Amino acid sequence: MRFALSPLIPIVLSIASASANAELLPAPPGSDAREIARRAEDTLRSARTILEAEMTVVSPRLSNPRVVRFRSWEERDTKQSMIRISKPPKDAGTGFLKIESNLWMFVPRVERTIRIPPSMMLQSWMGSDMTNDDLVKESSTLDDYDHRLVGIDNEIEGNPGLSAYVVEYLPHEDAPVVWGKITTWIEYEHGTPLQQEFYDEDGQLMRRMRFSDIRAVGERQVPHHWSMVPLDKEGHSTTISIEEIVFDAEIPAEVFTKRNLRKARR
Amino acid sequence: MPLAMPLEWRLAWRNVWRNPRRTALTVAATVFAVALVVFSTALSEGMWAKIIDDSVGMASGHVTLTGPGYLEERTLEQFTTLDPALEQLLVSEPEVIAFAPRVNAFGLLSMAEATRGVMVLGLDPGSEDAVSSLPRRVTSGRFLSGEQPREIVVGRRLAEILGAKIGSELLLYSVAYSLESAYDLFRVVGIMDLPNPGLDRGLALISLADAQEFFVYGDRLSEIAIRGAPGVDAEELAAELAAKIDPNRAEAHPWQAVMPELAQSVVLDKAGMYLMLIILVIVVAFGIFNTILMAVLERKKEFGVVLALGLRPRAIFRTVYLESILLAGVGLVIGLAIAIPGVLYLHANPIPLGDSEEMTAAFEMIGAEPVITALLQVQNPLYSALAILAVALIAAFYPALRASRGRPVDVLRSL
Repeated sequence: MRFALSPLIPIVLSIASASANAELLPAPPGSDAREIARRAEDTLRSARTILEAEMTVVSPRLSNPRVVRFRSWEERDTKQSMIRISKPPKDAGTGFLKIESNLWMFVPRVERTIRIPPSMMLQSWMGSDMTNDDLVKESSTLDDYDHRLVGIDNEIEGNPGLSAYVVEYLPHEDAPVVWGKITTWIEYEHGTPLQQEFYDEDGQLMRRMRFSDIRAVGERQVPHHWSMVPLDKEGHSTTISIEEIVFDAEIPAEVFTKRNLRKARR
Repeated sequence: MPLAMPLEWRLAWRNVWRNPRRTALTVAATVFAVALVVFSTALSEGMWAKIIDDSVGMASGHVTLTGPGYLEERTLEQFTTLDPALEQLLVSEPEVIAFAPRVNAFGLLSMAEATRGVMVLGLDPGSEDAVSSLPRRVTSGRFLSGEQPREIVVGRRLAEILGAKIGSELLLYSVAYSLESAYDLFRVVGIMDLPNPGLDRGLALISLADAQEFFVYGDRLSEIAIRGAPGVDAEELAAELAAKIDPNRAEAHPWQAVMPELAQSVVLDKAGMYLMLIILVIVVAFGIFNTILMAVLERKKEFGVVLALGLRPRAIFRTVYLESILLAGVGLVIGLAIAIPGVLYLHANPIPLGDSEEMTAAFEMIGAEPVITALLQVQNPLYSALAILAVALIAAFYPALRASRGRPVDVLRSL
């Protein structure tokens, strides 16, 4: 029966999305889907960004959520980033250095640096619902996808009163992307991303990400609360709460080196 | 032929040897076919029994108990436990020879610059010997002692990739059941040679106690590997255990479910072999048919005469049939006499394939020791005997009918 039903799934999904689309308003003529996607990208990233955040992992196997605090430095053009964990105490000082598609991890307690092999990229990052691949993602939401404007949505869960463009990101055939489609809700006026739905290659909705707690940071309207729910794993969620975010920061090149990775600041 | 034999038997026996060369050729063909059928089925049974035994010893036993949903997800989330009631059940089950509790998880193993994703198997050194061949695969150093903490045994290729030797300290990193980062240094005490290259590159063994501590797993287990009695029907045993265990606590899987590729290979290979053997038997059938038909046609006169003398057509029909059965029977007996001792010898003395690299590689691919061995199963010679006799009966029908249907008048007139 499983085999017999599977061809129906895309059909059922398309019916479901057609009915969802029925509630959307048509987008104004002349809207440029790629330009809208670019604004969303620029809301969360800049040439050099520093971020301090707390990640809360909820899982049926935990009586108390796991809270991980980290600080990250990112240089967009060189595809480099550095993450340092400061909480929980057991993981404090653990660092991740990403240079292009390479990922290294430093474990201070045993003073060892590990290069995470490509085969481990889809493993969980720090026990969260994010994978190592989410950290090193080579793909660009702009260059690796075609963008299609689906319409405008006025009723977005978690963000009452806001209107958003609904844009479908469809990956290029040769793009290094694990998703089959990403649907993104992007706030009409400021380009703030409000929600993202990730579909696998069979069109199955796998993951939903919601952005809320929008605050002004300079000229940007930045969501400070990101919540990710993997839909194939019941009772799991990962929330990222931004404590501080600095755009267009000064980051010395020394930050993105293995030498720096090995400097554990406990 | 003893004189006490009924007339028809004596007639048949003499007729068979009237043309000794033709008979000898037909018997030889039958001998060849019987020997080939028995030998090739025994070789195939032997090879697969060996491969299955090796694979089962390498993996999760004839039957594996896992937490619900483990086979699909294979994460720490699906676990089972070995409580006294379950232990009692396994001990009292006559088909269960031994069982071993295990924790099975992914981890990163690293030394200096080299890192590799591996399957970490946490096992109880005391229980493992009776269930799997892993302790006997250690060729350098020793197996886990169970006494010292943080010992690790790795495959030979894995050790080479990491540059590890006996005594090296390896960093194991993973995510614990509590979702915390788990990392610790483990000391290499043994290096094992695993025939399957994938496992040899990607399997690391630590003690069950270390694994449960490392993964913050309490007394949870990923699986309980069960070795069944020799020749056990794993599917039957799994069903029997499943019926006695609460499905919310553990599932019982036969090796066919744990290693579906292997189960499929067995079915495919055997299907191919049986197809070949059926074709062979059909060829032999035509040989017998030809011999009997020729023998009947050249004895037209004779049949006419005996019919005229008052022999009943039914007696002639029987005689011809007996000829066919004698022909096949002689071939069958000689064929079995040749094949069965050969099979038994090969079973007792497997031929190692050490010299041929290609053969060795082919066996290693499927994770078995490269030897040729044979396994005699009673039903195989029995089936081939039945098949050959059936062939003799079917092939003789038309010639026998021809022989008994002649009218004496017509036959004698044609003289």
